[in-house]
Amino acid sequence: MEISLFDAAAKGFLNLLHLQVLVAMLIGVSIGTFTAVAPQGLGMPLVYAIALPIVIKWEPVTGIALLIGASSVSAICAAYLPILFGIPGGSGSQATVLDGYPMGKRGEARRALGASFMAGGMGCLIGTFTLALAIPAARPLIYLMGSPELFVVMLWGLSMVAVLAGRRPIKGLIAAALGLLLATVGQQAQSGVMRFVFDQPYLLDGISISIIALAMFGIPSALDLALTKLGVEQKAVPLKGKLLDGVKDTLRNWWLVLRCSFVGVWVGIVPGLGSQVVDWLAYGHAAQSCKGGNFGKGDVRGVIAPESANDAKDGGDLVTTLLLGFPQGVVTALFIVALLAWGFVPGPEMVKKNPELIYSVVWLQGISGIVGTLIGFFLAAQLAKLAEVRYTFMVPIMFIFILMGAFSVNRDPVDLLVVIAFGVLGYFMRRYGYPRPAMILGLVLGDLMEKYLYRSVASYGFSWLQRPAVIILLILATASFVFTVRGRMKSSQKASSSTLGGAMARTADES
Amino acid sequence: MKANLTLFFLAVFLVAVWAGRDWPAIAKIMPVYVAAIPGLILVVIQLYREATGWETRRGRSGGMEMDEVQEVKLDKQTEFRRTLQYFGWFIGGAVGIWLLGIVIALPLLVLLYTLIEGREKWMTSLVAAGCTYLLIWGLFEYMLESRWPQGLLFG
Repeated sequence: MEISLFDAAAKGFLNLLHLQVLVAMLIGVSIGTFTAVAPQGLGMPLVYAIALPIVIKWEPVTGIALLIGASSVSAICAAYLPILFGIPGGSGSQATVLDGYPMGKRGEARRALGASFMAGGMGCLIGTFTLALAIPAARPLIYLMGSPELFVVMLWGLSMVAVLAGRRPIKGLIAAALGLLLATVGQQAQSGVMRFVFDQPYLLDGISISIIALAMFGIPSALDLALTKLGVEQKAVPLKGKLLDGVKDTLRNWWLVLRCSFVGVWVGIVPGLGSQVVDWLAYGHAAQSCKGGNFGKGDVRGVIAPESANDAKDGGDLVTTLLLGFPQGVVTALFIVALLAWGFVPGPEMVKKNPELIYSVVWLQGISGIVGTLIGFFLAAQLAKLAEVRYTFMVPIMFIFILMGAFSVNRDPVDLLVVIAFGVLGYFMRRYGYPRPAMILGLVLGDLMEKYLYRSVASYGFSWLQRPAVIILLILATASFVFTVRGRMKSSQKASSSTLGGAMARTADES
Repeated sequence: MKANLTLFFLAVFLVAVWAGRDWPAIAKIMPVYVAAIPGLILVVIQLYREATGWETRRGRSGGMEMDEVQEVKLDKQTEFRRTLQYFGWFIGGAVGIWLLGIVIALPLLVLLYTLIEGREKWMTSLVAAGCTYLLIWGLFEYMLESRWPQGLLFG
């Protein structure tokens, strides 16, 4: 007998009111927090892989509580690494490094952490709320997005290079082109052609984005500490600001949180976009739309945007996982494995037969988000003190994170060579003003763009350009690009007029 | 040096165009037509700007600085020496992992770095190295039974 959605929601909540479920959720939350703070070798896929054989012997809701608790909190607490160490967190939290680390260096680690947890918590709740609302309506929306639409979305994302290039448009475009080029390394799935493999088996599957991002941001950040001999020759900037300042910043920017959360939910829902792009799209959107920003130099909105999107994405991920039955990544694939082991078939069948279980997941996602945010606040005050530790300890700690993070990807010594090579490249790019974010964006989007373009042309020829959703998305993408370029030109004119004014004033002084 | 990096990008894009010359069109679109050829054109423009001092004369275009800019103020020699030392340690750590395996190499790196570069006390360095060992061996190998590959010398 089918039950109403309201009854299912109530029953889903009642399912959680058992001691073992709450304890399992708390264990999951603790594991998730530890995973977020630990080196990258211990990612959520590994946690799921280890926990799966254990939890499938439990009652379904208890097992789900542990898994959802871990994954939901892991995303909320992922900002520690970028803010305190300048090392990109797991995928979905990489863009936070752009403004989080400069804030940490200025002594505002507490404020940045406060903002990231608050934004993460709000994002998680918005994602959960969307998941709850999507249960009756998600299916037609998801099937509306075919390869042509996804290609245009990728193109839209790439237009954000205009933002991420900052003050150096040509260098930004060069960096983006390099990123696109690197994304094509390996065997092309569509044609089987080995591209830029040079007879090296390591390059067959391409170069891991996480190694490149880790090297390009982590190595130059640690170098800064070693150069200044922080804490020995140069005093660490004393910690200022409070967690509460970050919370206030986030509440003040609620509209940005809401927008970026929807970006996150949307990236989560749309199959094939993946967590790698969510933070960059949200960051690009924030930098594009926020006025009077100091992005790249420690603007708190540069922390709020990617964190809210990253945490909201989990809700979106669950929409497709639970309602359609297809996974959005390794973690959701393992989650589906667990559901199947318990005898539930995710997808329309589950919506029909076990709606109360879906609502249990919704409730767990929301409650874990709130608990995770509180734990984050509790730990942040202590962890922020790491920003004051002298370089003699910080540099080796960062070496551990970088080397272990890179080596854990394939456990291949060539990973180490790659991390060194891209570390050196990242150092020179930063030194000579080539914007690294533009390169990472090209790298993240390149592979997906190519895939969707191929599928679009193979399936529809060039008639895919006439699809209504494609036309609408193209108009939106073009409008956003034009507005960005116009904004840049205006600020360029302002800059040159102020330079001219300054020069005239100097001439007048000299005369 | 700035031009050298741009020249490096020029070489990368040239190699990409050359390597992709015989590929079928479907394999060429993204790497050659979308990335390498436009990249090549942009690099040439950038080289022209650098050669003529265009950027310095015009000033940078408006907008925000979207990436960190190196702000360390040291004399050139000290900066160069410290940068080389830093990369020396990092590459040493990577080579150590390759030769000795991660379980030995990382604690050893922490011990030597804190002791030699950081001039910390023996005891402090040993404790730091011990904690690293506990993290890598205790957590990954012992508790999670996730085996790291052996080093070349022990494999």
